[in-house]
Amino acid sequence: MDEFENRLKLDAQAIRAGISPELRSRIDASLRATEQIRPVPESPAPGMNLWWASSLTGLAAAVIVIVLVNWNGPSTVPAPLEQVADRTVPAAVDEFQGLYPPWLIKTADFASPLEEELARLQADIERASKNVKEDIDFTF
Amino acid sequence: MISDEQLVEESLAGSALAFSDLVERYQERLLRYLLTRSGNRADAEDAVQDTFISAYRYLYSYNPRWRFSTWIYRIAIRNVARQPQGEIRDVDVIADENAPDPLEECIVACERENVWLTAKRLLNQDAYAAMWLRYVEDMSIKEIARALDKTQSWTKVTLLRGRRSLSAELTEGASGAAGRQIYGRI
Repeated sequence: MDEFENRLKLDAQAIRAGISPELRSRIDASLRATEQIRPVPESPAPGMNLWWASSLTGLAAAVIVIVLVNWNGPSTVPAPLEQVADRTVPAAVDEFQGLYPPWLIKTADFASPLEEELARLQADIERASKNVKEDIDFTF
Repeated sequence: MISDEQLVEESLAGSALAFSDLVERYQERLLRYLLTRSGNRADAEDAVQDTFISAYRYLYSYNPRWRFSTWIYRIAIRNVARQPQGEIRDVDVIADENAPDPLEECIVACERENVWLTAKRLLNQDAYAAMWLRYVEDMSIKEIARALDKTQSWTKVTLLRGRRSLSAELTEGASGAAGRQIYGRI
């Protein structure tokens, strides 16, 4: 503590702040007359109740809709799994069945339509460029 | 010795004696500060009483993360700020009315001017409070910022300026005049 801080402290001590018995008894009397405010136990907020009510209503409505829709059973008979598999797997994939692991077959399955599309687009481009070339070469 | 925080806990559990101990510990400290901020001794005593009543009433809201002194000073500072402006008079105003400054009245006779009288003349209320809490109550910057509801940066800057301003005033002469010119009433 330097001299300045020391002086601040000493000068504060020099301020006479004696508590008179009257003041003390006044404070005590006022404290006796004062009641401590106790925090009210927290109840769930009304907003939270509303949230729960709306969630439960929504859930109940969803269950009812699902039950009603499926009341007469499914409208279409699902194809047996094996048949679906047969229909969806392209013939080209079957050829590589023994050669490649299943994940590569899956990739080929996804890529083949794109390759076909690419081939079609390339054919279109060739045809268009041929037409343009013919137009350019056309002379009156 | 039981800590303030333990006394608060006991008081919350219903012990009137525990809060009475807290009053005993803080009554003089608070009165000393409030004497320097109020217009007269009666107002300062009223402010002390109001501070303890508010503290007792809202004791449940005390957060033990902070020292009890920080909390009770925060209440006291708010109480004194709520006093009607007319009752908080500056030294100059009091001099004009030929009425003695309550702070001056309470200061033990001394050859030199009490530094807190000088501070009251030079600093604004917040800066004065920050200086008091720092150098009399030994509060940390964080605690002062909490008590005054200010940022820590504000507290640091205010303390630095307050200290420079007071030092300049106390060291008489050219440097003092220069200090007053630079910082004025902060």
